[in-house]
This record gives sequence, structure tokens and C-alpha cells, in this order.
Amino acid sequence: MYLIEKNNVMKLAEELAKSYDLYGPVIDNETKQVFFNKVESASEISLTAEIPALPPKTVVFPQIERITQYKYDKVGKKAEIAMTYDDRSKAIFGIRPCDLTGIIVLDRFFLGQEFVDDVYKEHRKRMFIVSNTCVVPFKQCFCVCTDSGPAADEGYDLNLTEIGDMYLVETGSEKGKAFAEKMGLKPAGDEYIALKKKVIDKSISLFEKVATDNKAWISRIMNRVTTGFIKDEVWKHIGNQCFECGACSFVCPTCSCFNIEDHNRFDGSTDRLREWDSCSFEGYTKMAGDHNPRHPVEDRRNKRFFCKLSYSQSKKYLRPGCVGCGRCQWVCPGDIGLPNVVTYIRREITE
Amino acid sequence: MSNMDNKIVTLPEIATIEEIKEEIQDVKTFYIKFDNPEVQKNFKWKSGQIVMLTIFGAGEAAFSLPGAPENDRFHLSIKRVGKVTSALFELEPGDKVGIRGPFGNGFPFAEFKGKNLIYVAGGIGLIPLRSSIVHALQHREDFGRIIVLLGARTPNDLMYQNNIEEWLKIPGFECYVTVDQATADWKGETGFVHTLLDKANVPVDNTMAFVCGPPIMFNSVIGELMKRGLREDNILSTLERHMKCGIGKCQHCAIGRTLVCTDGPVYTYKQIKTLGEEI
Amino acid sequence: MDYKSGVCNFCGTGCGNYLKITDGRITGVYSSRNHPVSKGRLCVRGWHLHEWLMTDQRIDAPMIRVDGSLKKVSYEEAVNFMMDRMSVYKGKENKEIGFLASPRSSNENNYLFMKLARGVFKTNNITLDSESGHKASLNVLSEGTGFAGMTGSLEDIAKTDFILIVGSDLTKMNPIIGSEIHKAQMSGTKVVTICSRSSQIAKLSNVHLQIKPGSKKVILGALAKAAISSGAADSDYISKFTEGVETFKNSVNSLEPADIEALTGVQYSVISEIAEELSKSSSAMAFWSTGIAGLDQDTVSYIYDLFLVAGKIGKEFCGVNPIAGIANLQGGYDMGAAPDILTGFQKINSDAASKFEKAWNTTLNKEAGRDIYDLLADKNSGLKALVVADHDEGIVRYEKEIEALDFVVYFGAYDNPFIKHADVVFPVAALVEDNGTYTNTERRVQLSQKRIEPFENAMPGWKLFPMIAAKASQNWNYGSAEDVFKEITSLTPEYAGLTYAKLIDSMGIQWPCNDKNPAGCRRLDAEKAGRKFKFAPVSGNYKTPSATAEYPFLLIRGQGEHFWHQNNIMKKSYIPKREYNATLLVFPEGYVEICKEDAKALQVREHWGVKIVSGSGAMKVSVKISDDVKPGTAYVPYFIREMITEFLLEHKSDIGRGEDAIIPVRIERV
Repeated sequence: MYLIEKNNVMKLAEELAKSYDLYGPVIDNETKQVFFNKVESASEISLTAEIPALPPKTVVFPQIERITQYKYDKVGKKAEIAMTYDDRSKAIFGIRPCDLTGIIVLDRFFLGQEFVDDVYKEHRKRMFIVSNTCVVPFKQCFCVCTDSGPAADEGYDLNLTEIGDMYLVETGSEKGKAFAEKMGLKPAGDEYIALKKKVIDKSISLFEKVATDNKAWISRIMNRVTTGFIKDEVWKHIGNQCFECGACSFVCPTCSCFNIEDHNRFDGSTDRLREWDSCSFEGYTKMAGDHNPRHPVEDRRNKRFFCKLSYSQSKKYLRPGCVGCGRCQWVCPGDIGLPNVVTYIRREITE
Repeated sequence: MSNMDNKIVTLPEIATIEEIKEEIQDVKTFYIKFDNPEVQKNFKWKSGQIVMLTIFGAGEAAFSLPGAPENDRFHLSIKRVGKVTSALFELEPGDKVGIRGPFGNGFPFAEFKGKNLIYVAGGIGLIPLRSSIVHALQHREDFGRIIVLLGARTPNDLMYQNNIEEWLKIPGFECYVTVDQATADWKGETGFVHTLLDKANVPVDNTMAFVCGPPIMFNSVIGELMKRGLREDNILSTLERHMKCGIGKCQHCAIGRTLVCTDGPVYTYKQIKTLGEEI
Repeated sequence: MDYKSGVCNFCGTGCGNYLKITDGRITGVYSSRNHPVSKGRLCVRGWHLHEWLMTDQRIDAPMIRVDGSLKKVSYEEAVNFMMDRMSVYKGKENKEIGFLASPRSSNENNYLFMKLARGVFKTNNITLDSESGHKASLNVLSEGTGFAGMTGSLEDIAKTDFILIVGSDLTKMNPIIGSEIHKAQMSGTKVVTICSRSSQIAKLSNVHLQIKPGSKKVILGALAKAAISSGAADSDYISKFTEGVETFKNSVNSLEPADIEALTGVQYSVISEIAEELSKSSSAMAFWSTGIAGLDQDTVSYIYDLFLVAGKIGKEFCGVNPIAGIANLQGGYDMGAAPDILTGFQKINSDAASKFEKAWNTTLNKEAGRDIYDLLADKNSGLKALVVADHDEGIVRYEKEIEALDFVVYFGAYDNPFIKHADVVFPVAALVEDNGTYTNTERRVQLSQKRIEPFENAMPGWKLFPMIAAKASQNWNYGSAEDVFKEITSLTPEYAGLTYAKLIDSMGIQWPCNDKNPAGCRRLDAEKAGRKFKFAPVSGNYKTPSATAEYPFLLIRGQGEHFWHQNNIMKKSYIPKREYNATLLVFPEGYVEICKEDAKALQVREHWGVKIVSGSGAMKVSVKISDDVKPGTAYVPYFIREMITEFLLEHKSDIGRGEDAIIPVRIERV
């Protein structure tokens, strides 16, 4: 544990910017919306900005990215093909605990199964992560229910917690430790363990009632979703409200489904693109030649919630798929963000 | 890039179409050879596995491998159904394609030793079973009876007719064929494929059944087999799903709690029943 | 920062978004949390705007047709070729030249296109593509209130007490408006939907009046009659703010409860109850889609008159709200892309025309022109040359007629089936390749800023159109799109107070914006209107199409979400295109939706082929069994190019009537 004065904390980011592409929460000047974006200078980053509208998963799993490029000369029968991975070193500065948990889930999924996803690995392998404890929760946050906040306990190189006019700097890796030493940070005394706990307890006490209310329910509902003991009417009620926009998947820090398309360029070459996809789309499972195994929209809905809230899926992630960021709630044209779905199922159980 | 047991995982390897054979209407077989001799040498697969085929400018799709693992030339038999396959049908010998794979579990042949093998295929359902049939015939002594029951809409829709004639020369190979609609010169059986089960007097004990074909045929054949006492876990099939990556990441082929590309495509009927989706 | 704020260019909702720009290329889209309309939401189309905008299926250079094939040439050559060939046609008397404008073009480009038609070619034959329903709605509102736009505001949906939806499925056509209505319903607003099919919005409503096809006017008239006869109508409002109620009363009084029930299939007591709730609610809004699946002018008049009876126009949280299906449909009419109007709905045959003559330094033809689709349909119209901008729809219905024209000029950014009939093609800069304003369905004028350079040789409208005018010796001098906008605001009272600077600082401003209302107007205000609202004349014709023994089904048609305006745009995306194809994969020949009972009686099952036969033709489709239609009703999608057969095209006049185009048919097993 180390300490750094609040007005010096951005020096850490400035130092990182020397050896990494620097990413962090940025507030758009015109519209005040917060993005997690690459910055030219550390001064663009705001550590007090609300949770970014865009999940930082875009850094490791962009909305659309070229993974391969090829060119085929049909006449000369000559094909050229090359991987075009993004192999730049990246530092992400000020990621919130829920979003860091999202990256941990993606790591386990993309890197920890039978196959390693090369594209993801390239983004991830030279990364430096600085997380930022949420000393106040934001509206719609419910990470307290999903064990993913308001403070991070793993996955970071450095973790920042605002305590009074200081930031407590914890190290989570050798790389983090070496960096803290290199920066000559002042060691923090043991009293800061208790001080940090106080800050976190205060933060937890500030969560909205629906978040704390649902805390015990998440595991009960995971049980129900896993065993399938949820009435069809509940899924139907949820399905009727699905506008099939895909937004819940796009904004989710742990949704990793993707589509691959070959994009023909004007110059005759082709970009193989991979892009975010969503299991809520009808065409998602559709096969060439008239067959869709997954039909009604409620079926597809329940697929997604199964992915976020079931034991079998959790086995892949070693935790629930939901990290409690609440983004799906505010982008949903229906009223079926994950917290609401929990509420609907809860209502069914209690009735 | 080749890694993991010589599987081509992310970047397709360039290969050349050497020969194209017309099979039945809208189905062609493409004989393919990798441009890199090293890759060609190391490219091995198991019966029941799949590859991802890139048609330059059109995209990539998954296809099952009909060739026997031992000594068949690498080839794919493909029906024209969508954008990628239509572009493939425009190609001619000498054209380049991209290949990734092989992917999937394949048939667990070690477990079948000494057993009777029944293959029931409807139409192009014979394509994913072909590899396994040839493999079994090449190890004829390892198995009991080997029976192939084929159904097709018309005699003109029968896949691999030349192969079947070849196979019939192998002692102890049994093959029965039926069509839904006979043509004038058709002298064989008519009717649905499950009617052949009695004709072949299929065994039940110590027997594995491989079933592949359209959903209606699939369900009726399975029903008949189980009526005769075959167990759910002795019936195998390979499932087809929309697939984008082949390595268990894109999730397009999710079925129940499994992924066809890594947990399948070979499933027992017992597994299929618990997946909770249509076939 | 890679994310740049912008405006979605699909439907008329005008959602705010951000486009991600990396190294001068579009690489993503994101929703805008603080946008007053969309509040963080986008629909499946909006979430894939980047896929469309990054397509390489573009027009890269000017082309002219030589010996039957298109050849790339310089701008100068193309302009010379066009003007040379066009010189033989007469624009005057609205004869030989027509202009088909685009509801997706910016206000600036539509204004210049209109100026080209009227100022250079002297023709008033100008029509917005894909559309007639919105114009019909604006005619009613403009005539009645002097306000040629939605009288309420999308932001007020959350605050209104009662919502009446007439017709098509807003959750599919304008999903974010559908969402806003759904959310209002969840928090207590009463939502009533009148629709023959159980659409998603119908399922999400408190009450779904599943009327017999073609009986919308009957039920609207019945609601008005019930409100009047029960005394629930707002008589104070009627006398203070309206005129002409008596004529309307007479035309609804002829409706008898027994007839109403027979024609609509809805009990009169249910109608009375709803009429009372509507009248007694503290605020209420009506919504209907315009466009190809929209309503005809008579039906719109009934909605408008019903809301006058209920006292719900020009008051807080109230509104009669036509919903535009395409991004700049409202803006297109604001820019005068119609035969009879100049900008701001100023009539071409009024004094306003001289203001334009002066500003444009030319003379104008003051006789209203004709609708392009009418001209195409009319074999004797004498139309010879057509100038088209960025086109979607008409090609489907009028391909043969367009092919038969002497000369076709096409302006657009993207590859389009129209090009194969064009003699000259000009590439125009696409969205975010140039500045431009777009006016959404609630009159919100929003600026979409230039974020990337134009594709290859594509040129912004403010450069391209003056090159053509210059050939006709007219000097249009603009240095930017903003200069064009300045000219628009100087000639258009509703836009008078708008500037680019103001629009950059806001997330759009709702017109009228002028000295009195520098921040624009959220809604029409009866107290400040300075006039009475006139009841719209209605036909009093309640004839509904009826099934006969020979044709026992009534066929209706509709639009979908991914399936959007013939999909010239959607086909350039990936995921929406896949969704579109998903339907085609299952029903490659198209489908007809019928209920279980009817399927049983016809002895057909899902996917079986059937023949639909009407008095004038037949088509083959597959059966889709659905609980969404009632016995005796058949529904076909009209949104999939591949599914629009000769059969539907034969019913051109019915299709022109919008949503109430009902075709009596019989269904035969094949």
C-alpha cells in the first residue's frame, strides 16, 4: 500500500502514457456524456466522472475490428492473407470495479477455455490496469448484489481509493509494485486498511434500496434460472417488452458474442471484421437453408439471462455473468434491464 | 498460424481447389490441397469433425469433413444454400480458398470396437457420416455388422452413389436404399427411410446407430430405433449450427449449455434431448 | 476523443448518437444518454448505423450513359451532358420534368434540390420519395391550426395521461417512440391502440381495439359521437378555441351503435367508455405512422376532429402527432419538397412566392405541380425527364414506368437499383461527410456535423447544385452548408431564429423558432395561436370493405423493423441485413399470416404453400400461423422487396391509400 496526494494522482497516468496508449474515462465537452476512450494527454481523464456510458470492454473487445485482411486475384489465382491484430500496449486508468470484473470475466472466457482467442490475447497481454474504487455509487448501480464492487479485489496492477485528500494506492501485481516503487510513492501505514474499509462501508450505505433489496435474491434467482423453474408467463411478459435492439448485449461489460463479416473494400481487398452481436436477434442462430432452432423472442431473451444468471454459465466465468453496472437498464427500450428481470422473477416467487 | 495439435485456429491457410465433382443437384464435391506442403502434411482430422472454409470476398462457413481420416484426399461435399456456398459454386479448379480447422469432437471410435454399426442417413445427411463409414470399412474386422440405410427424395438425390457401389464390394457391408418418389427407371424401394429398419433386420444389442438427416426423418428414425430397444446413449448424430469462429468464442452455435463447435458436432441422442432445443 | 455526437439517419424519431471515428473512418456507434428524445436508447437500426456508413458500396465519381453503359467522367462533363440533354424538356406548365426528392437528405440539400426544380427548371412537379401520408397529415394540421407539424412533443409522452395509437406498429416503425409510450404506460398512462393486428404496441397497450380491417374511420367517428352524445366532450374548449364543430357533429351523428358494432366488431359500450376517458383525461396524445403504411387524409381528419372534440389540441402535454417514418421527412416538407408548397408550408400560389423570386433573383411558376407518382401512373402525363435524389421506394412500384422515361438524373451517395435506369449519376457526400440539419417528427431541427472527408470524388450539395445552376446562368454562391441554412432561415418564418451556432450548443431546437420564441416551441399553444382551430372536413363515408363468399378474407399489409423502406440501406449493413434475410430464409416466397382457426378450416399448416386470389390477380406464398390476426383477416408483409409481387403491384391504387388499403381475397390450398 502506498499513498499519493490527490493533486498528484494524474502523474501516475502521465508516467504510464510514456510507455502505453492511455485510456480512461473522458467527459464529452458538448454533451457531458462519459466515455472510456483513448486520450492524447492524461489531463483529459476524469477520475470523478460517473460510470462511463460505454463499457471499457471496447478497449479489449472493440465494437467492430479488423482481424484479418486478404486480397484475392481471381485471374492470377493469387491469394494474400494477413492477420491485422492490434498489438499496441495499453494502460487503462480509472476503471471502475464492475467494469474490471467484466474484463476478468472476458479473460476467463476468451483465454481460459479449450482455445485461446488470439485477437483478444493481443489486446490484453501487455496491458496495465489502474482501477478506481467507487466512493459513491451511481444511479442504477447494483454491484453490491453481484460481488463486483464498490471496491475491486483482484485483476488490477494498481488500485486507487480516494481517502480524504489522498489516494490510497494498492498494488495487485509485480508490475504494479515495480511501477509504484519507480514512482517513489510514499508507503501507507496499516491504519489505511481500516480507513479504506470505512470508505467502502460508507459507499455501500449509499446504494439505492432496490440494489440492497435484491442482494440476497440474486443467488435464489440464479438457482431458479439454472433449474428452469420460472413460469412461461414470466418469460412472455419479458419477451413482449423486448424490442430486439441488442443494446443490452452491446453495453454489457461481459457480453462477448460476436459476428464475423467479410467487408469488401473499394480497392479490391477484403477486411474480415468481427463485431458485437446479440443473442436477442432472430437471425443470430439462423442457418442457411431454412432452419432456426431458436424461435420466439422470449426464448432468445431467456437465453441471455441464462448467460448472466445461471450456475452452468458461471462455471466458465467463475462468478455470475452480471457485474451490476446497471447499463442494460438505461439503454433498454422495454423495461427489462437485468435488475428489472430479477424483480419480475422475484415477484413470481413471492406471489 | 498453426497451433494446438496442428489445428489452424485464427488465420485461414490458403489452399487450392484441385478438382470439382458434381454429386447431385446443387451439391458438389471439392477436392482441396493446402498450398503450404508442411500444412498439407500435418493436416489430420477425425471422423465427424468440421472445418471453416473461406470463400474470398464472400465469407466463411462451417462444413463437415466427409473424407476418411486415414487415406482419403481432403475434400468437402457442399450444398448450395446461401451467400458463401453460392460464391463457392462459382469457383473452378485452380481457385484459392482458405481453411481453418479441423474443429469439433468427432466420433469416439475407440468406444465402438466390437459393436454393430448402423448408419441411417436422409439426403445430404450422408455427407457428415461418410467419413465414419469409410473409416469403419477400413477397419472392418474391428466391428460387427455394418449397415447403411439411405433415404432420399428421389433417386437423383442420392449422395455418393459411386462410393456406395464400391463399398458394396466389401464383404459383410450391408446397404439398403429407399426413395420418397420413384422415377420411371427406379427398381429399388420406395417409402420413408425408417421402413428399412425391418428390412435390414437391424440388431439392437451391442449396437451404435448414427442418424443424420432432416428433422422429420431424424425424429421418426429415432422413434423407431428406440421402439426396437436401442438406448438413447447408443444413438449418435452430428448437429449443424450457424458458426462464425469454430473455437467456442462467438457463441453462435450455442445449443442448450453446449457449443456445437467445441462440445459437438457429435452428440448422443441422450445429450440432444437434454439440450432443450429443436434439432 | 473518438466519439462525436450526431443524429441517427434512419427513422423520423431523430435519436441522438455518437459515431466513433478512428483515423478518419467510422468504426462504431453509441447511444446518447443526455439526448432529450432517445435518452440513451437506440433501436436495432440505430445500433448499426456505422455498418451502413462504412460501406464501400458507394458512387465514387460522376457518370454519364454512353452507348447504353455508364462511364466515369468529370463533374464538368456530367453537368454539361445533363444540361444539354435537359434543355429540350419543358419544366413550365409542370409538364415534362419531375423531381423526386429524398426524405433522408438534409434540409440544405432538399432546399437546393427544390430550388433547382423551381428556380432553374421552372417545374413544381416535386415529390418526396416514399411518402404521401405525412403530407396528408400536415395538410390537415396546417389547414386546421396553421401548424404544419406534430402539435405535441416526444418529451411530453411521459407526462400525458392518455394515449391513442391509430394503426401501425410504432414499436417496429419508430421503436424509441414505441419505447417512450411503453414506459409511460408502465408508469400509469392509459394507452389505447386501434389496429386490426395484434402488433407489439397493441400487446403493450391497456386496451387493444382489434377492429375489422378498414373500419378505422368508423371507430374514430364513433368515439367522437360517443364523446359528444354523453356530454363528455369539452364544450368550453370547443366554443373558445374551435370553429366548425356542427358540420363534424352531423357527419358522425349518422353512425348508429348497431352499425358501429357490425362494422368494427367492437361493442359500443367499450367505445363510449374510451371516449369518456379520453375526454376527461387531463391531457391526451394521438399517434399514427405516416408514409407507405400510413393513413389517408380523411382518417387523419377524423383523428384531428376527435381530439378537438375532446379538447386535446394546443394544451399542455397534449398533441396530435403524425410520426414520420424517415429521418428528414418532416424536414423535406419544411423545405417545400411538394408540388404546392415552398419552405415552411408557404403556398406556391400565394404572395410568399414573390419573396422567393426576389431572393433567388428569378421568376417562378406559381401553379402547383403534380405528384411524381401520379405522373408516373398516368400514361398520358407527358413526363419525360426525372431528377432523383437518394432513392428508396418508388423504383419498386414504378420500375417499368421509370425505365420508359427519356432521361433520368440520379444524385446519391450509395449504390442503388435506380442507377441502372439513370443517364447521369452524381455522387453526393453522405451523412457526416458534410454539415447538414435534419428535422425530426416533433419539429426538432438538429445539426449533424461533418466528421469525415467525403468518399472518393463525392461532393457536398452546396458545391454540386450551384454548378448545375451556373450552367443555366444562375449565380448561387455558397461557401458552406451553413450559408444555405442562412438562406433557408431568411425565407422560412418557422426557422427564422435558428442558427448553426444555436444548434451546436443544443441537442436540437423545435420550430417555430423566431424572435418571440428564441428557444423554439415544445408544442402548439391554443392560447397563443392567434386564431381558432378549424374542424377538418370529413367525408362521412363509413363504407368498409367487406368479405364476400367469393373473397372471404380481408388482406392487410404492414411494415417491419429491419425491413425498412425496401432495404436499399439495410442491405448495406451486416446485422440488420442478416435479420432481414432471416425472414427470407424461412419464407423465401413471402408469407401470409392467418389465425389457427382459418388455417384449420383451409386445411393448411405452417409453411404450406397457398394461393391468394383477388379480383385482379393471384400470388403464391407460404402460410404463417399466428394469434396476431383475427379470423377472416390475412396479413402480408410489404417490406421485403423479394416479397412484393406483381400481385401487390397490380393493386397500386389500394397501396396508395396507405394502411387502409384492404384487398378482399380468397386463400386456396396449393
